[in-house]
Amino acid sequence: MTAVGEYGVVTVAGHALSRAQVEDFLYEEADILDAWRYDDWLALFVEGARYEIPTTDYTGLSLHESGSFVDDDFDLLQARVKRLKSRKAHAENPHSRTHRLVSNVRAFAHEDKLRVTASFVVHRARDGQFDTYVGRYEHLLLPTDDGLRFWLRRSILTHEALPPGARLSFIL
Amino acid sequence: MPQAGRDGAGMPMIVEDWDRLTFRVNREAYRSSEIFDRERDNVWLRNWLYLGHETEIAKPNDFIVRTLAGRPLIFCRDAGGEVRAWLNSCPHRGTVLCRETAGSSKLFQCFYHAWTFRNNGDVAAIPDDSAYEGSEGLRESMKLRAVPRLEIHEGYVFVSFNPDVPPLLEHLGDAADYMTMIEQQHVGGMTTLPGVQLYSVRGNWKLAVENAMDGYHFSPTHNTFVGYLRENGFAVTDDDQYAYNLGNGHSLLVLTGHGGRISMIWEPRFGEDERARTDAHRKEMAERLGERRAHYVADESHILFVFPNLLLFDIEGLSIRQLEPVSAAQTDVRAWQLVPRVEDPASRALRMKTVVSFVGPGGLATPDDIEAYEAVQRGIEATAGERRSELDFSDMSRGMVDEVKGVQGRSIDEGAMRGFWRHWVGAAGIDDGLRVVGTRPASFLEGRDVR
Repeated sequence: MTAVGEYGVVTVAGHALSRAQVEDFLYEEADILDAWRYDDWLALFVEGARYEIPTTDYTGLSLHESGSFVDDDFDLLQARVKRLKSRKAHAENPHSRTHRLVSNVRAFAHEDKLRVTASFVVHRARDGQFDTYVGRYEHLLLPTDDGLRFWLRRSILTHEALPPGARLSFIL
Repeated sequence: MPQAGRDGAGMPMIVEDWDRLTFRVNREAYRSSEIFDRERDNVWLRNWLYLGHETEIAKPNDFIVRTLAGRPLIFCRDAGGEVRAWLNSCPHRGTVLCRETAGSSKLFQCFYHAWTFRNNGDVAAIPDDSAYEGSEGLRESMKLRAVPRLEIHEGYVFVSFNPDVPPLLEHLGDAADYMTMIEQQHVGGMTTLPGVQLYSVRGNWKLAVENAMDGYHFSPTHNTFVGYLRENGFAVTDDDQYAYNLGNGHSLLVLTGHGGRISMIWEPRFGEDERARTDAHRKEMAERLGERRAHYVADESHILFVFPNLLLFDIEGLSIRQLEPVSAAQTDVRAWQLVPRVEDPASRALRMKTVVSFVGPGGLATPDDIEAYEAVQRGIEATAGERRSELDFSDMSRGMVDEVKGVQGRSIDEGAMRGFWRHWVGAAGIDDGLRVVGTRPASFLEGRDVR
C-alpha cells in the first residue's frame, strides 16, 4: 500500500507520484481517446504492455485461462490501433463520438509499478443511438523519465451484459 | 411481383426465379413483428434449441439461469448428476424462482412464500401445507416444470418446448458429425471456460445466420483483419472453399484460406514454440483417428450453423455462439470459448488471445459483422411499404448459375443462405411464403461425404 511520506503521494521505483499526477495522466488519456488521436494513445504504452477487457462475468480469472472481450498483447494492441486508423474499420467508420468521465481515482504501490483504480463512464453516440458504458479501470502504470506509461490497461465493465448495439469497437 | 406490405402475412417471403436464376428475400422477414411472433410459435417453441454445454454445469448442483425463446430457465445438474432444464418460475404464483445468475445449490427457494424445491424438481417444503386439502397430491402437482424434452449430443445440451419433437440426432442429421469432429480434436475432449461474451445487436437474428454462412463478405467487410493476417505471413485466399447445406436448415462453411488453427495448422503469428507443439499434436491425431479422419478434423476450419440458434466457429480456436431473438430488430448473443480439457498453458494463452482477437464485440473482426447486421436493419427501412414492391427484396442469387446445374456452391456464393431460407419458410409456417417461377430443379445438393 501507500509508502510512508507526504499525504496522497506514492513512491514506486524511486519516483514520488501524487494523486494529481495520476489523475492528470488519466484525464489526458481520456482527451486523447475522445479526440481519436490513436498514435498519441499508443505512445502512452511501454513496449510489451497489454490492453484487456474481461467479460461481464469476470471474477478475476486470468484472461490466459478464460474468455474475454479484449486480450491484447503488444502486437495485437498495435494491430488494433492500425485498424482503427484505417478507413476500412467499418465498425468505427465513421468514428463513434465519445465522451469520457473518469473519477474515484486511487493509486497504490505494486512492486515496481503503480496500481491505479478509477471509475469511468463512457458515453458513445453513433447511428442515432446513445450508449453508456460504466465500469472501473484497474491499470498497472510504470513511472518513466517521460512520465507515467501503461504496463497493463484494463477496463472492467459493471454491466451484466453489453446492451444492444454497445459493441467495443472503440477503446473503452 | 408480390405485394409488399407491413403486415407480413399471406405474401411471398421468398421468390425463386429459375428462368432468371434469381433468389430474393422479402425484407419484411427481418422487420415484421408478426413474422417474429410466428417464428416464436412455429420455430422456437417447436424445434430443438441449443441450451448450453454440459461442461458449464460440470458438478452436481451447479446451475445457470438462462433465457431461451424468451422463457426464463434454470439449466442445472441435479444432486444425482443428471442434466435438467426447469422453467425458472415458481409453480405456486409464477415468481422467478432463482434470481442468481449461476451457482451451486441443492435447493431452489422462492423468496415470495418460501416454497422450496430440490434440483431434481421435487417439492422440498411448502410452509404450513396443512391449509391445503391433500398435501401429498399438492406436492406432486407442484413439482418444478420441466422443459418437455432434453437431449445431449457430444456435451451440447438441446431442449425443446415441443414434447412431440423427433429425436435430437434425427434433427441434427449431418450436423451431428461436425460436432463430433470438434470433440475428437483432442484426447480427453473439450470444455467450455468462464468468460462468456454476452452482448446484443440491433438486428434480426437471421442476419447473424446469413453473415456466418456468407464467405463473400469476408474480404470487403474484414479488410483490416485480412490485412493483419497477411502482414503476419498468412496467405489469405477464398479459392477452393465451399458452403454446404446439411439438411433441416443446418449448413456448413468449410474454410482453408482464412487463418491457421491452434495446435492443428500452424501460421507464423502463432510463434515458433507453438510450431513444435502443433506438429506433435497433428501426428498424434493421425495415429488416433487415422489420416483421413484427422484431415477433416484438423486441416480445415468449419463454421457450422445448427438451425435455429447455434453457431459453432471451429476456426483459429473454437467459439460456441447462441442466438436469442428478443424482437424482430434485436438479438441477444452469447459466446463461449470451447477448449481442450488438457492443454499446454502457453497454447491455451495463445488460443484465448487469438480467438478473441477475431470473435466477439471487442475483436478485430466481429464488430464489422455487427456493423453489417445493424446497417442492414436500418437500411431496409428505406423500402418498407415501397409502392415498387420488388424493391423491398434482398438478393441472394449468387451462385445460382452453378446450383441449377447441380454444382457444389463455393464459400463465396450464397447457396448456404438459400438453403437456410428455403428451410425457414417452411419451418416458420408462412402460408404461400415461397413463390417459384420457372422450373425448379428436382432436388438440391445436400450434405457432404467425409466418412
